[in-house]
Amino acid sequence: MTAVAAGSRKLEQTYGIPTAPVSTLQFLSRVKDFLKYSKAPLPFIFTPHPVIGLPPKALDAYIEGNDPRTGRPVIDEIIDALTKPVGETLFEPESSETSQASARQAFLTPDTEDNLQRLFYERGWTDGLPIVLPTEDRVKRMLGGTSHKPDEVVGEIFQMDTRENIKYTVSNIAAIAVMAGARPEHFPVILAIASTRQTALMPSTTAFSAMLLVNGPIRNEIGMNCGIGAFSPVNLANAVIGRSWTLMATVWGFNRPLKTLWSSQGNNLTYNSMCAGENEERSVWAPFHVQKGFKTEESVVSIFRGWTLFNSPGTAAKRSHGEELKIELGAMPPANSSATIIIDPLVARNLKENEGFATKQDYSRWLSQNIKMPAGSYWKADHIDMLVASRAFQGVEPFASWKKIPDDELIAPFYDPDRINIVVVGGETSPLWKVSDYNHVISVSIDKWR
Amino acid sequence: MSPEAENRSASERGPTPSSSNLARRLDTLENKTIYLIDNGFGGSAEFMLQLQEWFAKHMPSVTTIARRKTGHVFADDTTDLWDEIKAKGHAVVYGVAG
Repeated sequence: MTAVAAGSRKLEQTYGIPTAPVSTLQFLSRVKDFLKYSKAPLPFIFTPHPVIGLPPKALDAYIEGNDPRTGRPVIDEIIDALTKPVGETLFEPESSETSQASARQAFLTPDTEDNLQRLFYERGWTDGLPIVLPTEDRVKRMLGGTSHKPDEVVGEIFQMDTRENIKYTVSNIAAIAVMAGARPEHFPVILAIASTRQTALMPSTTAFSAMLLVNGPIRNEIGMNCGIGAFSPVNLANAVIGRSWTLMATVWGFNRPLKTLWSSQGNNLTYNSMCAGENEERSVWAPFHVQKGFKTEESVVSIFRGWTLFNSPGTAAKRSHGEELKIELGAMPPANSSATIIIDPLVARNLKENEGFATKQDYSRWLSQNIKMPAGSYWKADHIDMLVASRAFQGVEPFASWKKIPDDELIAPFYDPDRINIVVVGGETSPLWKVSDYNHVISVSIDKWR
Repeated sequence: MSPEAENRSASERGPTPSSSNLARRLDTLENKTIYLIDNGFGGSAEFMLQLQEWFAKHMPSVTTIARRKTGHVFADDTTDLWDEIKAKGHAVVYGVAG
């Protein structure tokens, strides 16, 4: 919605071109927010929701039918928007809620535990589960997990609905870490995650999810699970570090339905964002953080993000692991040309000792060259058309060439081996794996937050 | 303690907006050129094609040009297409945000 609103404003105010912006009704609140903060009274017109996937007749009915907000025919509103002075708009003056934003207080009024739990829930400061109340004593203890000062700014994040930059300090993050159930020894990892300025919850209608991967000595120092059931709800460090990241996004307002939370179905992977450590001790290959330029003895947290995650239901018993991935990833059009493959140490050992892949990079190269899909299957995926087609139209390769070939011609959608990330996690009870279209977003040092 | 961080307003909180800061509207669409810009969101291109059919059928003197927004679907990064519209067009229908 924002691009339509911002583009319409630019067409009107910079280019002097009358513009009729059209949105589906589902995004009415976003439009109102934009008008409020941009101060451009654009004559927005609304259709029913959605327009995606509808046959021509249904779209004709939208065009000749009524704007569900005003009850007037959409086509009449389009013509009027271009030919008549803009009258009534959706602009609403600032609400008192907005002006309260600057009146935040450091301490809440004392109350019973039950009442405070309810308050946190009602204010949207939880993930739906009870939290550990961040009392002054508990926050002070958490601050003992780092050498950094409580008032040091860790980062800043932009909030779409209020158009505000949210600055957060070590102390703010400590309160959130307490709420998640973390201990002081977990705190440097949580601060490192906060320093990335990444949010666990994305303001998208899709079901984004993410993975937090920890490498280096701190995994063992704080008892992270890198082996059996690393992604299962059994380990304190994995659970609370991941939960802390989600609570950061929650506290900062990224979970307000139809304001900042738009994911139609949501994704329960976001409860702790698959937080785990790489099983460096049982892996036959170099750890992920070393691939990214860090030293083996450094502790590092990496963030991956995407939409699709596929758990292998069985092993590579009847064909090679690579053949299995050709089938799975060959059906997963990647918006960022990226894949993240999480394999059990047993798979890694077999790939190295019996199939000749000496390094992760060797295997990434093989996958990059051998995973294929028809060009038509790639381009007809909605998210590829939406996110990648513009690059093809700009002449960016290989997308521009892929646009020109017949639908049934095969392309290698994971064309860049450096975008195929391989990490080793698991407890060696079975040579299993997960494949995803996750993109590696960032890796940052944990040690600087100790 | 409260877990909330400090909010800093990034927006100026000025006066109520006025339609005077919008472009001058057209007297009529007759014999004008309207660009129908699809923003790249699923279904938008199909919506604009149907809108193009509507104009062809009901207001045939209107020339419509259906195009996709250039640049990233979520970014306000278009200049080439807006320049073209400034040179060749009179008005825009832009959507469908969804």
